[in-house]
Amino acid sequence: MSTRNTPVRWVRENLFSSVGNSAQTVVFSLIILGLLRWLLGQAFAEESNWESVATNLRLLMAYNYPTGQFVRIWVSAGALFFAVGLSFATWNVRPMIGFRRLLTTLVGFGCFALICGLVTPGTTPSVVRTSMFAIGGVLVVGGLAAGRLVPRAGERNVGFGRLLVAVSGLAMAVVWLVPFGKHSFIDGAIAVERGVTIASSTKMPWTVLFAVLVSTFFAGRAIAVRIRKQLKIALIAWWVVGPAFVLFLVLRDPAFDWSRIWSVDVPIAAAFALGGGAVLYVLARPGREDLARVVGALLVGFALLHWVAGFAGWYGMLQKVRISFVLLAIAVLLVPTFAGERRARLRLSGGWIGLMVVLHWLITAINTPSTLVISAPPFIGGLVLTITIAYYVMLASFPLGVLLSLARTSKLPIFRVLSTGFVEVVRGVPLITVLFFFSIMLPLFLPRGMGISDLAAVFTGYTLFSAAYMAENLRGGLQSVRRGQFDASDALGLTTVQRTVFITLPQALRVAIPNLVGQAIATFKETSLIAIVGGFDILRIANSTIPNQPDFLGQKRPALLFVALVYFVFTYSMSKSAQSLEKKLEAGRVR
Amino acid sequence: MSIADQSLTTELASRNDVIVCRGVKKWFGDFQALRGVDLTVKDREVLVVLGPSGSGKSTLIRCINRLEAHQEGSIVVDGVELTNDLRNIEKIRSEVGMVFQQFNLFPHLTVLDNITLAPVWVRKKPKADALAKAMELLERVGIPEQAAKFPGQLSGGQQQRVAIARALAMEPKIMLFDEPTSALDPEMIKEVLDVMKELANSGMTMIVVTHEMGFAREVADRLVFMESGEIVEVGTPDQFFSAPREERTKKFLSQIL
Amino acid sequence: MTSTTHATSLAADSQRRPPFWRNTTLIKWTVQVAVLFTVLAAFWFLITQARSNLSARGIPVGYDWFDDPANFQLGEGIQTVDSPERRLTMSRALWVGMANTFRVAIAGIIFATIIGVIVGVSRLSKNYVARRASSVYVEMLRNVPILVQIILWLAILGSIGALTPDTGPIKGWVIVSQKGISIPRVFLADGFYQFLSLFLLLSVGIWFVRRRLVARQERLGGNQHVGSITTALVVAALVVSWFANAPMAFLRGVFASLESAWGSIPQVVVQVGLAALAVGVGALRVRAFLQSRRTPAGLAKLTDDDWFRLLFIALVAIVAAFIVLRVWPGLSSWLINSGRDFFGVLSDKFGDGRGTRPLDAMRPTLSTGRFVNYGTTGLTMTVFYASLFFGLVFYTSAFIAEVVRGGILAVPTGQGEAAAALGLSRGQALRKVILPQAFRVIMPPLGNQYLNLTKNTSLGIAVGFSEIVQVGQTVYNKNSQTLAVFSIYMMFFLACSLTISSIVNYINRRLAIVER
Ligand SMILES: Nc1ncnc2c1ncn2[C@@H]1O[C@H](COP(=O)(O)OP(=O)(O)OP(=O)(O)O)[C@@H](O)[C@H]1O
Ligand SMILES: [Mg+2]
Repeated sequence: MSTRNTPVRWVRENLFSSVGNSAQTVVFSLIILGLLRWLLGQAFAEESNWESVATNLRLLMAYNYPTGQFVRIWVSAGALFFAVGLSFATWNVRPMIGFRRLLTTLVGFGCFALICGLVTPGTTPSVVRTSMFAIGGVLVVGGLAAGRLVPRAGERNVGFGRLLVAVSGLAMAVVWLVPFGKHSFIDGAIAVERGVTIASSTKMPWTVLFAVLVSTFFAGRAIAVRIRKQLKIALIAWWVVGPAFVLFLVLRDPAFDWSRIWSVDVPIAAAFALGGGAVLYVLARPGREDLARVVGALLVGFALLHWVAGFAGWYGMLQKVRISFVLLAIAVLLVPTFAGERRARLRLSGGWIGLMVVLHWLITAINTPSTLVISAPPFIGGLVLTITIAYYVMLASFPLGVLLSLARTSKLPIFRVLSTGFVEVVRGVPLITVLFFFSIMLPLFLPRGMGISDLAAVFTGYTLFSAAYMAENLRGGLQSVRRGQFDASDALGLTTVQRTVFITLPQALRVAIPNLVGQAIATFKETSLIAIVGGFDILRIANSTIPNQPDFLGQKRPALLFVALVYFVFTYSMSKSAQSLEKKLEAGRVR
Repeated sequence: MSIADQSLTTELASRNDVIVCRGVKKWFGDFQALRGVDLTVKDREVLVVLGPSGSGKSTLIRCINRLEAHQEGSIVVDGVELTNDLRNIEKIRSEVGMVFQQFNLFPHLTVLDNITLAPVWVRKKPKADALAKAMELLERVGIPEQAAKFPGQLSGGQQQRVAIARALAMEPKIMLFDEPTSALDPEMIKEVLDVMKELANSGMTMIVVTHEMGFAREVADRLVFMESGEIVEVGTPDQFFSAPREERTKKFLSQIL
Repeated sequence: MTSTTHATSLAADSQRRPPFWRNTTLIKWTVQVAVLFTVLAAFWFLITQARSNLSARGIPVGYDWFDDPANFQLGEGIQTVDSPERRLTMSRALWVGMANTFRVAIAGIIFATIIGVIVGVSRLSKNYVARRASSVYVEMLRNVPILVQIILWLAILGSIGALTPDTGPIKGWVIVSQKGISIPRVFLADGFYQFLSLFLLLSVGIWFVRRRLVARQERLGGNQHVGSITTALVVAALVVSWFANAPMAFLRGVFASLESAWGSIPQVVVQVGLAALAVGVGALRVRAFLQSRRTPAGLAKLTDDDWFRLLFIALVAIVAAFIVLRVWPGLSSWLINSGRDFFGVLSDKFGDGRGTRPLDAMRPTLSTGRFVNYGTTGLTMTVFYASLFFGLVFYTSAFIAEVVRGGILAVPTGQGEAAAALGLSRGQALRKVILPQAFRVIMPPLGNQYLNLTKNTSLGIAVGFSEIVQVGQTVYNKNSQTLAVFSIYMMFFLACSLTISSIVNYINRRLAIVER
């Protein structure tokens, strides 16, 4: 036991084992301390008043959302937390975190806080310096003590549920105990009210949210034992369409014109859902493949005709009818490959009806004017906008990227050339030019009378851009699928579509997941570019809105540092979980 | 051709032809892999194909279920000619089963899913029927207890038996085997060969590319020797092993035995 | 032949053709051509739509505005304002923007590589502090969006101190303020091109001499001083071309005559030449394709697929020729004009009573008007340049560090041990065994990072740095020529991508050969 790592021994072996090593230690320590001091100096420079951040938290998170309607944001966040908690439970996210590792991390943080307190320059407010020392001291002492007192600390693990509760509890404690944000912020103007802080106005909602998170996690864990598969399907469906519903129904609060809905929208939706469902059911009978192909080809022509007519201005038609026809044509073309006995046919029709209901409801909601009274046009902004755009760009670019990568790896030369051309051109130009191009040119490309909102145009461009990268990432996965897999599925008589859906894509996706997560991170970071093309995202608010407020004129650094911190927290945790996912997948592959 | 015809027993001659190849030629770019292959396979016949590496054995049987398209000559399988006719291809694929050297099981699907995938989606069978059939086949190849596992969790011999079950699940009239035991450890070869023997005894029409001479001697109705894209010699096992006619066959046999 | 009668009726000699709607080859190609046609039609439709939408607003689409006066100032660059002797046209402004992009990109690539390599290597250091410090560096920088970093740098640099006539730190030599940094500048003087051409000429000679020397070294063995003689010759060539480059002034005449010769090429000739080129390339590809199908026994049988492929190549070649001849004659005249201008510009760089000094230097000055500003004499790094530069360098260096680390880790440990077993020293092992292998792994992702950095220069628009995208935006805000400007963006960045990736590929090939 005498050869155990003692701190002194460790320091001698790792930091001062030779002259070169000692020199490295000294040089790097000096550089790091200097940089830390400089960074703290930037964070706590004289004019840098962090109140600009604390006061504007609401602005940074949700921009100009009307205060009276803020409950909508909390409801949306609640839906999100609900789904997160349930998803954790359903997918059995249970990282085993060693107790000792946790303690080491805490002590490390404590040491870091202490060092910060020591090197921070004189301009730092004394409260901050004191709290650095206090936090550091508590963490170091507490961590060391816990390591000593808890028996067999090295063998214990901390369960994910406990960790979740602890983090939630800590967040609660901060909201309840630290009165940050001296002002309250009402409709774009700062109202100074004594005793009302940001913290005090948000502590109830936050408490509810964390309670929802923790309780859904534990409840989900209990029910997932029995119905994990159904829960998974439901959650995936929710993650795909749920956010859109939250966005356009809850946050946007559309003023539905019910008489029009009953007279126009519902009949159209019903016609497509039921009529299409019936057509699919009839055609999906085994032995009717040829008929389905003919009907599909005719429908493709029919659907395209409506688009050509729309652009040429021959006759008008609701856009959603055109879209539905295209979808129906695609569905009918896919019928021969997914036809089968009665249950399969029912499933096919059922899926179609579900798709139509969701789609038509969403389109109606998007096209209905909002009831919100907002000074600046976009009804979302701030961090909410960033997250929404990043999420939906990834989601929307996925099918496109799949198609592009399939075309690029296909044996058909024209498809390959087209796809390669698109992917390489898009990957060759910077995102910002693509965004500019779409925000300026897309309205010009549309025929007169058809319009598109700024944000939608930018979203379209970003999606196409992201699809090219998605295609590139998926290509690696597709190329990793062995030739023998194709041979085997061909020999079994699977059609090309069946082979792609059942064999190629599942295998390719599994290989491509680490790259896709990397792309998700990049997409999230690059969403900051919408600040340049006119979106009021968190960066734009920090860079141009806050420094123009009379109270915080010209104060940029704290808000920008805060934005950097927010991004850091998101992307760092994403990349960390990606790493553990990758390890898990690798372990799975051995199987 | 005349050699082959003479050596056919009268019993075999009275059966129907299920595979007829006439002057089949196949190029890979500028390399000719098949130089005019003529071959007839009778119903319920077991045909073993021998030949040195690169002689075109795999290419021939891959042409028979159109994994490769031949360029000249004709192949007729069960009365259906192999052309680029969509319907013919669909039909052939579901009537001809194939087993590969590398098993080629789908690694992301369980054994059961591997077996039921094609019956459900190609034959449009009800899932329950497909499952029942799959279990029956697994019993037949002797590994019912592995049904829920993934291919990666099985031994090579077990994987190859699953592959055979997967091909049989489509209820094919003809089975093609491309060196089914070459990738296996010696102790696993027997279990796969036993399954194949049982299959041959049950009256399945089979074309088997193999280097297992014991199997060929015991099970084959006829043997075919190929070299550089041509059929050199056809004969019954007895005649083939005891009195090969062609010089090249003799040389090959002396190397391999 | 007794039993085959039933089958012979089916087994005809040639393959029977199925009806067209079940012919897989035909279906394949019909679908492809249909999709191609749809894509082209969609493009054509969108372009016409945009054209008509623009002309409805009275904006003609084209590149005729290149020579219009710019009517705006640029923040910085090789030319920022319009002056009588040097017009600032729209196209000139775009050139200045491109030059600015290059300035940031090249400097950024160099510095990002240096920092990235240092950090990447220290991430593998034995020293705990070095390892930790560099991993904190990497995590901190790569997890914050580059745009946030650039804007943050602008905020930080903007808080330094105002520029006054006595701003230091070394007054008159190095001046740092919230407007940027200014230091003495070395610039190309009148004789530079004469110097360069003479030096290139001499270098060719030296190259031949060196070849002889190397041959002698191989013949005789021992030390024949190849290296030192070459170095001496190069130094001598430098000295000679520095002082005695006046004779090269004759190049002015040469280039001038080339200019007039090029300008007098009739447009038809270029058109026909280009068309012939398209057809020729098509013919060559067809020939190569047939060649690949040729066997000792004559041409292999062509499949339907092969026929379609040949048809497609021929079609593309003919369409290209048609475009050059009929649809887009502007391409040919553009080639003629730019070739002529190129030689014209070159001939202006030589002779005609210029000085012969290749390089010159000046100290920074301040212009004192209502506000104090940096003058034009020093090498000034404006605060906009600086914030973009710092953002790019630090962000990219974090990624490069990861690339370097991955590359070194990718070399199996056995390699180092094998080298040691052969008796190589640690340094030799690193230089001859480990680094070359790591380099091959590092090179492709490194090239990718360079590409990213180059593309990210476009974020200069967020801090008002006059790079190509920002200048282009100014241009189309003035004259609404969005389509044309975007096409220029695209060509510029694609050219950059192509250049960088071909350099990387070239190096990679070289390394692969070295390894073998
Ligand atoms: N896809 C292909 N492209 C090009 N050449 C091929 C291809 N497939 C096979 N060949 C060539 O055709 C020839 C015949 O190959 P084939 O696989 O049929 O031989 P084999 O008799 O099965 O050999 P083995 O016993 O090694 O499996 C070989 O020379 C091979 O190189
Ligand atoms: Mg083979």
